[in-house]
Amino acid sequence: MLTHLLRRYKPWHILGVAAPLAICAAPADARDAQTIIGQSCAACHAAEGKNSWSRISHQRKTPEGWLMTIARMQTMHGLVISDEDRRTVVKYLADKQGLAPSETETARYALERSLNTVEHIGSEQYNQMCARCHSAARPALQRRPAKEWEHLVHFHLGQWPSLEYQAQARDRDWLQVALKEMVPLLAKEYPLDSKAWSDWQRHKPQPAALAGRWSFSGHMLGKDDVLGVMTVSPAGKDTFKVAMQGRYADGQSFNGSGSALLYNGYEWRASVKVGGVAMRQVLMARDGEMQGRMFEETHDERGLDFHAAKSGSGKLLAVQPDFVKAGSETELTLVGANLQGKADFGPGIQVVSVLSQTPEQVRVKVKASADAAVGVRSISLGRLKGGSLAVYQQVKEVKVLPAFSVSRIGGNGGSTPKVEGRFDAEAWSQDTSGKPFRVGVMPAKWSVAPFDERAEEDQDVKYAGKMQADSGIFTPGDAGPNPARKMSTNNAGNLKVIATVDDSGRALKGEGHMIVGVQRWNNPPIP
Amino acid sequence: MSVKTIFKLAGLAMAFGTCAQPTLAASDLALQKGHEYLAVTNYPNNLHIIDAENDSLYKSCRLPDAFGPGTIQISPDKTRAYVLNNHYGDIYGVELDSCNVVFHATLSQQPTERARAIFSIGLSPDGKELYSIVNPTRMNRDNYVVETPRLQVYSTSAGLNAKPERSFPAPRQTTMLQAADDGSLFVVGADVYKMDPHSGKTEVNIPLRNWTRPLYSPPDVLYVWPQQRPQHTFNLLYTAARFKDEKMNPETADNVYGFIDINLANGKSELVDFAPITEVYFTGARSPKDSNLMYGVLNRLAKYDIKEKKLLQSASLDHSYYCLTINKAGNKLYLSGTFNDVAIFDADSLKKIGNVKLPGGDMAITTAQIFTR
Repeated sequence: MLTHLLRRYKPWHILGVAAPLAICAAPADARDAQTIIGQSCAACHAAEGKNSWSRISHQRKTPEGWLMTIARMQTMHGLVISDEDRRTVVKYLADKQGLAPSETETARYALERSLNTVEHIGSEQYNQMCARCHSAARPALQRRPAKEWEHLVHFHLGQWPSLEYQAQARDRDWLQVALKEMVPLLAKEYPLDSKAWSDWQRHKPQPAALAGRWSFSGHMLGKDDVLGVMTVSPAGKDTFKVAMQGRYADGQSFNGSGSALLYNGYEWRASVKVGGVAMRQVLMARDGEMQGRMFEETHDERGLDFHAAKSGSGKLLAVQPDFVKAGSETELTLVGANLQGKADFGPGIQVVSVLSQTPEQVRVKVKASADAAVGVRSISLGRLKGGSLAVYQQVKEVKVLPAFSVSRIGGNGGSTPKVEGRFDAEAWSQDTSGKPFRVGVMPAKWSVAPFDERAEEDQDVKYAGKMQADSGIFTPGDAGPNPARKMSTNNAGNLKVIATVDDSGRALKGEGHMIVGVQRWNNPPIP
Repeated sequence: MSVKTIFKLAGLAMAFGTCAQPTLAASDLALQKGHEYLAVTNYPNNLHIIDAENDSLYKSCRLPDAFGPGTIQISPDKTRAYVLNNHYGDIYGVELDSCNVVFHATLSQQPTERARAIFSIGLSPDGKELYSIVNPTRMNRDNYVVETPRLQVYSTSAGLNAKPERSFPAPRQTTMLQAADDGSLFVVGADVYKMDPHSGKTEVNIPLRNWTRPLYSPPDVLYVWPQQRPQHTFNLLYTAARFKDEKMNPETADNVYGFIDINLANGKSELVDFAPITEVYFTGARSPKDSNLMYGVLNRLAKYDIKEKKLLQSASLDHSYYCLTINKAGNKLYLSGTFNDVAIFDADSLKKIGNVKLPGGDMAITTAQIFTR
């Protein structure tokens, strides 16, 4: 099931928290979290002894999860709390009652705002009962005992009484299924107490270890590979200053600076201005690596997968680009930390020259022999192993990524901006046994076409937006009724996304499916 | 395409908007005896009376509090309109001649309770009692508890602070209800129930989720417009899959539209498939002058021959309309819901013959009612 959903209201806009957790450090004279909870929350949440309150102390959530909970108390239950106090409480609860890294692993895409993820969490019943209205990730990123899951069911139906009348609810005794079947399942799958959490609390690493120089490698959908160095310096308890120097594969460089806050020993949230654009980092920081996604605050569809290694111990993250054509000569850049030694790409690939070498990047010119074995191979640099390189002779297939996506109309005086479609053309080939293997992302010519007869009849290509032929970036049409369309309907559409890749004179086409949808009115931090 | 998918697509296709706003017609204009009218509600909170003989706006009443859903019931003597409104939480009774609000019931019975009626509003045959099934939630200090739905029975003479005279536990997931002439209530839910508003006794009258039609899927019913038809029937549409054989393969099944008509004079009901599903209709109704004709509306207006299960004719629309009303003579169709204009079509030719612009905004999910004073 997709995480794109229509919503009826928009408290997140009112609160101004659509994007993110604030990352400012609390001033020295700020009240501590226990005092704030005791004064602002205890009117409804009964104290249960020292630093324990009804409901609050029986759940574990991510930082975004706690933010959503408190924001909901503001929009629905009349809580009055300053932004500063809210930040303090979110930090306290996310640290004290968070999730272990392993408990978030299957659902980090939701924290990372990868909204075109097709989810694969839970049973068909879980998806009908829970993920029908919000992402499957949202409950999967919480931990509660049965009683608390039961409270959640009652809250849902009490707050949204029409819920049990909707499709995939009115065909069953929704409340009984929720209480008798879903509550036990959720309490078993996502329990309050777990070994992972108690282990993590005992072995949480020291945040000071994050200060230093990080080498990063990434890929921005609809643009290019990126690499660079991020410098992290301490700025207080769990807070850091961040400076970035990076470069796209086409040579364009960028600089950024900002600050970061670490929750629960590993949840890295940074706000970084890159060339005047505010970007967020949602990363998991563990074992000398940071991994996750970096995206624009107001356009989370514009973002890059991000993987960084800390200087100190050697790590080979990736090679850019990660493919080479047999019989060709090309430049490759190895990205990592403490890089030293000779690059080895395996038999049939000869390093012609080393163009430059720093501890973070090694640029080499390679020659792949015409008979180099095709397929995906491991690479090494000195004693470091990491990344992989695809060797191919011919592109056999082109896949459009994401294969299924939603962009959204917007703007036109409305409160919600357009959400772009952004695409990559991923080339695939075949090894000698005929088994397909991924080559990598290649430049393509882009176009859109009606997905079906209905889309053709409704002229969706004309109204739903414009595809940039050279970049694979689709800008949807304006929001609102369009008098030029049949029945004054809006500019929504149903389109094929077509990429044409040129492989030495052979044109190969790939197709994806994009719904140009309406605005996402309710856009909470976890979709 | 599955039935559910069709409904999802229909939901996506809904458009909302407002148009130029004519001024409100005088509120103290009395209705004329023997004259036919159409009542509709719209944002921000209007009750409009359209003259159904010259097809123009006759008068408009301002309602208290917030709009939604604006479900109307006209009293049997045709002097009052009762409207479920204020976010499904209150019922108001309005004298049509004066626009005065003469009845008001807040459905929640405690300050710590939230009770919502999901299109549930109906009147006794003598107009003395008003019925609504509410879904209550108890709002405790730090948690909610969903409670058993209740049928709340009011006296329509209870004034502006009406409290239930009686209340009884009711099934979950019910929507529309209507009283039959014998006083019993037909209530639409997982099945159609028959409920005694004096004893609270509830029994299944027409099984739906639990029907046993061979080679049929359980029907899907999303019908929330309790229209008081000239034929004195209570009607709704259903969709279902009719399988080819015992394997019950949804890929090869026929998806069908059907209607249920309950005759409120004698309590007898008909359940009839009338068409293959080719598009979605939010509402549909049989012609008062030819009971073999069925009309349906959402993105098109369509007319079917029930016996032949055949589409006879269709008409394109300027925008979606949710709610189809037929006048007593059966010669005019009034399309309402969404935007703020009521479109009028000739029932025989399906040609558009008029359009009444309303002051105010979107009619949304209003239930239009046709009646003769």
